Amino acid sequence: MSMTFFLVSAGLFVVGALLALLTGRSEKLSRTLSSIFGAAASLFALIAGGNAIIFCSESLTLATPFAFAPLPLLINPLTGLLLVVINLLALAAWTFGFSYLREYSGREVSVIGFFMSLFIVAMNLLVAVDNVFWFLVFFEIMSLCSYFLVVVKQDEMSVKAGFLYLVMAHIGFLLIMIAFFIMSSAAGSFDFAVFRITDFGPQTASVVFLLTFIGFGIKAGMVPFHTWLPKAHPAAPSQVSALMSGAMIKIGIFGIVKVGLDLLASSGCELWWGLLIVLFGAVSAVFGIIYALTERDIKSLLAYSSIENIGIILLGVGTGFVGVALHLPSLAGLGFLAGLFHLLNHAVFKGLLFMGAGSVIFSTHTRDIEKLGGLIKVMPLTAVCFLCGSLAVAALPPLNGFVSEWFTYQAMFTAAFEGALMVRVVFALAAVALVVTGALALATFVKAFGLSFLGAPRTREAHEAREVPFTMKLAKVVLAAFCVGLGLGAPLVVPYIQSISASFLAGSPDLLQIGRYLFNPELYAVISPPMIALLLISLGAIVASVALLLHRGNVASNRDPWACGYLHETEMPMRPSSFAGQMNTFFKPLFTLRSTITAQSDKFISLFNSSVRGAKKAEDFSDRYVVDSVSSFVKWLALKSKGIEGGNFRVYLLYIVVALLVLLILAITFKGGGPL
Amino acid sequence: MIGTLIGFAQILLLALAAPLVSGATRWMRAKMQTRKGPPILQDYYDIIKLFKREDIHTKESSLIHRIMPALFTTTLLLLAMGIPTLTRGCPLPFMGDFILIIYLLALPRFFFALSAVDSGSSYAGIGGIRELIIGILCEPVMLLALFVTMLATGTTNIGFMGDAIASGAVVNPIAVTLAGIAFACACYIELGKLPYDLAEAEQELQEGPLSEYSGPSLALLKMSLSMKQIIIVSWLIAIFLPFGSAVELTLPALALGLVFYLLKVFAIFFICTIIENVVSRVRYKLLGHQTGVVFGIAAFAFVFFLLGM
Repeated sequence: MSMTFFLVSAGLFVVGALLALLTGRSEKLSRTLSSIFGAAASLFALIAGGNAIIFCSESLTLATPFAFAPLPLLINPLTGLLLVVINLLALAAWTFGFSYLREYSGREVSVIGFFMSLFIVAMNLLVAVDNVFWFLVFFEIMSLCSYFLVVVKQDEMSVKAGFLYLVMAHIGFLLIMIAFFIMSSAAGSFDFAVFRITDFGPQTASVVFLLTFIGFGIKAGMVPFHTWLPKAHPAAPSQVSALMSGAMIKIGIFGIVKVGLDLLASSGCELWWGLLIVLFGAVSAVFGIIYALTERDIKSLLAYSSIENIGIILLGVGTGFVGVALHLPSLAGLGFLAGLFHLLNHAVFKGLLFMGAGSVIFSTHTRDIEKLGGLIKVMPLTAVCFLCGSLAVAALPPLNGFVSEWFTYQAMFTAAFEGALMVRVVFALAAVALVVTGALALATFVKAFGLSFLGAPRTREAHEAREVPFTMKLAKVVLAAFCVGLGLGAPLVVPYIQSISASFLAGSPDLLQIGRYLFNPELYAVISPPMIALLLISLGAIVASVALLLHRGNVASNRDPWACGYLHETEMPMRPSSFAGQMNTFFKPLFTLRSTITAQSDKFISLFNSSVRGAKKAEDFSDRYVVDSVSSFVKWLALKSKGIEGGNFRVYLLYIVVALLVLLILAITFKGGGPL
Repeated sequence: MIGTLIGFAQILLLALAAPLVSGATRWMRAKMQTRKGPPILQDYYDIIKLFKREDIHTKESSLIHRIMPALFTTTLLLLAMGIPTLTRGCPLPFMGDFILIIYLLALPRFFFALSAVDSGSSYAGIGGIRELIIGILCEPVMLLALFVTMLATGTTNIGFMGDAIASGAVVNPIAVTLAGIAFACACYIELGKLPYDLAEAEQELQEGPLSEYSGPSLALLKMSLSMKQIIIVSWLIAIFLPFGSAVELTLPALALGLVFYLLKVFAIFFICTIIENVVSRVRYKLLGHQTGVVFGIAAFAFVFFLLGM
């Protein structure tokens, strides 16, 4: 059943993409069609993913025009989780985008619809394919589509961000490609199925792991390969930022897990792989959040927070790898449960937060927190949803972020308890990093929520803001409900996530959930999110009613804040810079470190540029003798064919579509017996 | 069932005794400074008086500012259900995980700082940020100290940790003692006393957000701050000084546990008052240096644990 739904979803996405493009003349029609088809397609893929998690894996091989690379699809529980994450967010993004795209009116709304459809379907196919060639193809399509979505605004900032993103994405792609080619030359096949049963030996396996770890780490936005992320994600439309931060960077995590434990399954897993992942995770978590704290642009702040959360996911996943290497199935189960659960949770709350930020941008047309303030009075629903997301991302009980972070702590503690000296030192560092991250995340989201939504409006724009249209509210309410549901309902969700990690782990991990309690039997630890929520609500009701009963005076809310006897002025309240100033006093060395790290990305760019220059020089050499004549012919041809290429973006897209259609027709004509 | 009962009893006890504890510390401090000081029951009078007064909020403030006091109190009452006081084990085991306690303490801190921003007052705002910074500086110390204790006792449940320490099952006495010292220092900073904070004055300090509260909201907050002190002290007692608490749930054991608990709480608050009387306020910016030293102690505890001592 999964496979049928999956194929229908892919088909709907492609049709939706084409329709969005063909109806480009009417913005409204294009927006409506792409949203409806996209939402329907996401729903189908969501069902496919859920079905794979709950019931069983399914596989299918499609014939393709390329004889050397048929298209094998495999939907196993891990793929299912990724499908659920991507398409749950996509569903919310399409709903949100239906109204939000009005903000982009007159700026290629149809192009956004087209690329967003292709972007999502590429991610869906990427997690489902079981073949090197197609994996790389879809990886590239995903990167390219998201690149176009980043530069869609066409201003200087987004073009610059897009270029950095493109370069970094391709460095990652290159590393992954090299790793895959090493594997396929050793295994003698392009099929992942063959990789799984091939023993590559420890050296090759380690090289492959290292290459893919860095390659996928770049995609995941791990520090120090993160510099593209806080520039690229905010540049895209908000619902696309939600997809990129919530879903696309998870592809990086998926890749690390898939290569390390699935494709290298027969080669064994080394202890240092896990420790490396944990260390990178700890560094990413702390640095991600410390940079988020000083950010004034609300979307950059959220993007930096994504780096932090990738770090937390890596902590969980790395602990899982340590568990596999030490042959401790319960530790491995705990680590992957923590990592995968946080992967899901982060997608939900970061999607919610980006859409909240999108709503703010929609009604105030600014991303600068400095220019906001007081929005809770004019946008109450958006404010409540954003608060809900903030509580979840700050890992406050009993919401979902807390539950997965609790499991992350438990996994790391268990590893430290069971492990030897080296393991203990690494996990002590990691645990301290995680608690620092938690405390900093608290401060960051006090700033993000407090200074945008509370207090007095600081500018006219914030004063005149209005609540957003219905579909934008709907998307946020649904995601906020998921934040609460995944937290309070964690005892119901945990067994399914455990079954996902059990599908690629050997040995039987401990039972981590009984009734409404969550356990870590290794350390006699137990919590119960639903009970905490129940007690909080009932005690809260008691406290509030007692306070109301006892109170004899009035309630007034008409005074100016006290200013030590001076008259209150509008310049007096807190501003984002007051936050930054205070934090700078205490954590200055960490900020100076950032400029060092950021400088590295400029080096990457200049490396790229210089290699291009070098290539140009080398090219020149042969040019002068061989190519000149050809090139002058091409020049002539280009002049003649100027009529065909109008320099219009849309015409180029039409060419791509025509080429795709021709390919499709070819495929059907020559391989007519396929399941399509 | 009996655990739940004890949990609810602890809630009642905490809510009723909080003003007594804060009143008693004020009285003790006055005596040490050879002042007459307020009567011990003064804080009860204050709270009763405040409930009769108007509840004033600033113009710009929103719902967050109004719900914060009740939320603060609620979270502390919830914490009171899980922390062992008379008994050795946690009354409600699912409330006794130390990670949960650290993050539950962060929940009111989040709203405390938010309400400071919400009030629109600059002094309250600075106080809110400082409260957050204290969290950032203290939580790592607490976590590392408890991490070492977790390694030594093999559990993250504070009831079981206390049990292992009290029964002498721990093979790393030096490490656990050092961890206890580091944890106690971090707890002291969290209590909001001199040299780090001065609860009675100065709006730009930790309790700055209080300056925009009045009437019943202020009453709830005053109670909550006192309750927070008791909870943190009980937390320290439950893990590192569990001696004398009731292992079995019999009436005599519980009575003895109560006596020991009250003695320990009194002793700790007495020591705190002495410290408060002999130090002057430290410059706020130096807080980072001092928590650094405390973190060093916790790190030493970890090193000693690795050495097996």
